[in-house]
Amino acid sequence: MDNQSPPSQPIIIARNVDKRFGSFYALRGVSASFSEGQVTAIVGPSGSGKSTFLRTLNRLEAHDGGEIIIDGIVLSDDLQHLDAIRREVGMVFQSFNLFSHLTILRNVALAPIRVRKMSRADAEAKALALLDRVGLKNQAHKYPVQLSGGQQQRVAIARALAMDPKVLLFDEPTSALDPEMVNEVLTVMRELAHTGITMLVVTHEMGFAREVADRVIFFDEGVILEDTTPQAFFTNPDHERAQAFLSQVRHGF
Amino acid sequence: MMNWTKQYPGWTMFGAMLGLLFFLWGLAIPLSAAPAPIGPAAEQFAEGARVTVWLTLIAGSVGVVLGIVAGMGKLSKFLPLRWICDFYVWLIRGTPLLLQIMFVWLALPTIMPEGIELSDFACAAIALSLNIGAYNTECVRAGILAVPHGQVEAAKALGLTPFQTFMDVILPQSLRVALPALANNLASLVKDSSLAYAISVVELTMAGYRVQAESYQPIPVFLTIAAIYLILTTAFTTLTAALEARLDVGQKR
Ligand SMILES: Nc1ncnc2c1ncn2[C@@H]1O[C@H](COP(=O)(O)OP(=O)(O)OP(=O)(O)O)[C@@H](O)[C@H]1O
Ligand SMILES: [Mg+2]
Repeated sequence: MDNQSPPSQPIIIARNVDKRFGSFYALRGVSASFSEGQVTAIVGPSGSGKSTFLRTLNRLEAHDGGEIIIDGIVLSDDLQHLDAIRREVGMVFQSFNLFSHLTILRNVALAPIRVRKMSRADAEAKALALLDRVGLKNQAHKYPVQLSGGQQQRVAIARALAMDPKVLLFDEPTSALDPEMVNEVLTVMRELAHTGITMLVVTHEMGFAREVADRVIFFDEGVILEDTTPQAFFTNPDHERAQAFLSQVRHGF
Repeated sequence: MMNWTKQYPGWTMFGAMLGLLFFLWGLAIPLSAAPAPIGPAAEQFAEGARVTVWLTLIAGSVGVVLGIVAGMGKLSKFLPLRWICDFYVWLIRGTPLLLQIMFVWLALPTIMPEGIELSDFACAAIALSLNIGAYNTECVRAGILAVPHGQVEAAKALGLTPFQTFMDVILPQSLRVALPALANNLASLVKDSSLAYAISVVELTMAGYRVQAESYQPIPVFLTIAAIYLILTTAFTTLTAALEARLDVGQKR
């Protein structure tokens, strides 16, 4: 019997999750749970399965083994479950993926109109408020190509927030940006981290992980090698692979 | 295309449509002022032009729908559907249009249920629709393939259903890519509709042929027909160029 009281119930539970591509295991028996409001930085070398793990959580990739439960809903092929989960879980991509044929305002308002069945006027008012929050209200009528990378990524964050998700997944949100634009996006994310939304952030920004995250998970070859506090991870990681990774990061790639 | 179609696409579209209508209603008036053999036959020319435009508009519209449906079908995961669509395109593109028109005219009535009479015009419209539909299929398919995968993932992650993803993201973006080729097909259709003469539909070419046969003056008659065709194709091209400009927003150049 599960006797945990609702508030301490994790919002995401992954148990023994496997993911194969052909015969190659991208994830091998990954288990982790995340409580509401927690900000987790996911780090690790290239190809270690960080993106794959994130993408199994909103079923952009279907897992092959184990179990994923989000806000009490089991993630499976059941379309109703999938709909419910995708409403709860937003995602921000490395390459922004804004809808190129829609204005910034329509980009943000689209999902509330279609998925939440909001009226167009309400959805656009909400979109404007969110754009204001990421500092882009005055760009609402432009198209994505007319914005800089940093601005596009802030719109992408507003677009994800428009669905009022409980969980936000970020897959290297600053990796495609010119260095001078990284900070404007990190600033928005830093503010978000204090709002109580659950965040899972795959990132190479170790500064951000150290300052903002409550928890760091280190992936290597499809398994979680370290799952600890930023303090412990950055000062004294348990595994040699993590130490090697950190020294590599410190000395630049 | 001319610059102002890009600057004022909405107005140009409206103007081209209006121009087409005026041209159709009013064609007989200026023509009747022309000397014989054109003047006396003005009403025949006007009627022929109307039939040509109707054939083009009907087959053009049905052809776009067919192109979208079969273009999707060619990319379907459902194998039999893909075979059907492949077969359709293969069959239509591998046989002459004239043969297709004759076939529909001769074969369709025999397989139609009792009591349904197909006019010659309907047969021509059906054959032309099937024909342009097959050519549109390839354009739409290429357009769908050109939509970056990230756009679809973003829509999924926001919780849009597959149908919404198609209607709101994939279709508009792929049509934007496919439109120049679709417009090309439409311009060909204006001229290809002349083959309907073979099943005694009195469209523009057939009208001219009759006038010429009565007056024994082929040169002025055919010059008049050529001029009318040129005006029609120009109107259709302007219309589609304006549509292209409208859909072009947010596109990288
Ligand atoms: N669609 C796919 N088909 C086949 N193999 C894949 C696919 N996606 C990922 N992989 C493989 O799975 C492994 C994990 O990939 P993943 O993208 O999760 O790594 P990552 O930790 O996010 O790396 P990076 O830091 O480079 O983004 C890699 O070896 C990758 O080649
Ligand atoms: Mg990755």
